[in-house]
Amino acid sequence: MKNIIKQWSEMVIPAGSEAAHLPSVLATFKDIADSTEIDRLGNGIVRKNGVGPHVALVAHIDEPGIMVNHIEENGFLRFLTIGSLEAKQLIGQHVRFTNQTRGIIGCEMKDANTSLSVDDLYIDLGVDSAEEAYHLAPIGISAVLDVPFAELGEHRLSGRALDNRAGCVAAADAFRQLADEGRQVTLVFSAQSVVGARGAKTAAFALQPDLVLVIDSAPAGDMPKAKRMDLRLGHGPALKIMDGTVITPLRVKNVLQDAAETLGINIQHEVWPGGQSDAGQIHLSQAGLMVGGLSIPTRYTGQLSQVIDVRDVESLVKWAVAAANQWKA
Amino acid sequence: MLLKKLTEAMGPSGYENEIRNVIRSEVTLSHNHIFTDVLGNLFVQQNQDTQGPHIMIDAHMDEIGLMIVHVEENGLLRFRPIGGIDPRVLVSKPVVIGDSKHFGVIGSKPIHLQKPEERRQPLGWDQLYIDIGASSKEDALSVVQPGDVAVFATTYGEMGERAAKAKSFDDRVGCALLVETMQKEWQLRLSGVFAVQEEVGLRGATAAAYRLKPDIAIALEGTVCFDVVDAPAHNQATQLGKGPALTLQDGLTLPDRRFTEFMIATAEKYNIPWQYRRVKGGSNDYGAIQKAREGVIGGAISVPVRYIHAPAQIISLEDYQAALQLLTAILTEIQEGRWHS
Repeated sequence: MKNIIKQWSEMVIPAGSEAAHLPSVLATFKDIADSTEIDRLGNGIVRKNGVGPHVALVAHIDEPGIMVNHIEENGFLRFLTIGSLEAKQLIGQHVRFTNQTRGIIGCEMKDANTSLSVDDLYIDLGVDSAEEAYHLAPIGISAVLDVPFAELGEHRLSGRALDNRAGCVAAADAFRQLADEGRQVTLVFSAQSVVGARGAKTAAFALQPDLVLVIDSAPAGDMPKAKRMDLRLGHGPALKIMDGTVITPLRVKNVLQDAAETLGINIQHEVWPGGQSDAGQIHLSQAGLMVGGLSIPTRYTGQLSQVIDVRDVESLVKWAVAAANQWKA
Repeated sequence: MLLKKLTEAMGPSGYENEIRNVIRSEVTLSHNHIFTDVLGNLFVQQNQDTQGPHIMIDAHMDEIGLMIVHVEENGLLRFRPIGGIDPRVLVSKPVVIGDSKHFGVIGSKPIHLQKPEERRQPLGWDQLYIDIGASSKEDALSVVQPGDVAVFATTYGEMGERAAKAKSFDDRVGCALLVETMQKEWQLRLSGVFAVQEEVGLRGATAAAYRLKPDIAIALEGTVCFDVVDAPAHNQATQLGKGPALTLQDGLTLPDRRFTEFMIATAEKYNIPWQYRRVKGGSNDYGAIQKAREGVIGGAISVPVRYIHAPAQIISLEDYQAALQLLTAILTEIQEGRWHS
């Protein structure tokens, strides 16, 4: 599983650029899916017909990044952020564009006391003219912050976009198992989540499943002087009790709790009042949908590099399958 | 003169009656089917039984404005903004209030009486009031009621090299483009929507897109233009006179790149000037339409507006003409089957 998570975390999918990358991802489900599609917002949807209530597994596949908005005469690029990234995080970072062009972020000379904004930053592509730059990275193209993947210790992984590619890997695994068992199941790689759960809104409207399980990262709090958050790495996946967009319906919470107990796996409880996830938009779709959240405790969410424990992901897959199987229409 | 008629009509969010009537009279033609919904959106449709993609073109009728919330004992009016208004632009500006267009001036303490520290502080909402020349609360209440709305008293005028000033180019410039478009007869399944309440949260467009279920949507907007002194190129949202602006990314949208490239290719094919809207802040009705139901492909065509959301706004009439050419070219390309999603 570590290797698969590595491969997925290295995909370059800034929000808004999902549709370009999804065909190769969806192709890997040809052996098992009845159909695959990319919808208008860029959601990747994999369907398997079967018996029982229709369960959808949703994991956002996008990540924050940057978008070129101006090319200087001498070939330097200016950019906007996609999602919430701050200027101070970006200085000196490498970027990788969706066409694989690479560059490095520099910063204008600033007075020590003045505040820094993304407008003070630029990307150096190693070229000397606007024409060369335009060729490599035209206005409108997006990039991600190219932080390397690494294994830490025995069970931990660090790298870019582990939030939420680890969730994508878990959702894909759970989907395959449920499909093998003949269940009615849909897998959604949701688009534009980091800019506000935009893909989840339209996907939920279209699919209207009986139960939606959202698989995503939630911040861990087990670091020195960390913001208080009662999630620890390696202590199991987390049952989302609430975040800033949803309070998990009691019936879903109970099924998730029972499934974990039946399996005998450890789970934690995520209470994240300021959190954003796809769950809220899904819960409020049309006449309302049953939604639950299964979260991977993740250190440094919102930073360029996150850390997760692969055992939490492995547990989460079993848990999601068990919960989907316990759900009664 | 269409732009004059549209910009001078009153219509703060929620109070679009006057502007809607002006627009309705412009688009009441035999080839248009016209109706309104409960929010007050004005729909103008052609060829709803035709095969092919259903195209929604949106422009919002409403404008930013002020609402009277309280009348002081001495007859001065307290007010609150409707939509995003910087209170620093308000002092000493003339306004008109309510259906009767009662004249007023936004007042504050004269410079002679201000303490040095007061001169350094911008005036907040609580330090501003509208003076309608009333001598008492009773006198004021005989012509103005709490809940009445006000707009800036700026008239339309052309100036300089093909520029124009008015109060509400955001988004009467989009309304004018849509009126001119719907005055023509298309061979397309076309729905023009003059939307309400954009300035308070894209409310009209949300309901309109839900009703119409379009396949393609284009929002026509007047957008931020900051190409003046001291703005570095990458901070200039748009530049006046450089043509209509296409969105890279805004506060609510990462537009579908394929449709953006289709619009760019069309502009190039017809030799129409265009530019990117290069900043992330702000949004338009497409932000709501894109996420309606199962999602809608499309984008926005924006006319640069200097001093947007302020009493006197400036556009380039060349940009207006180029925006109209671009919209016409895009609809022609779709009509001839050259858009493939």
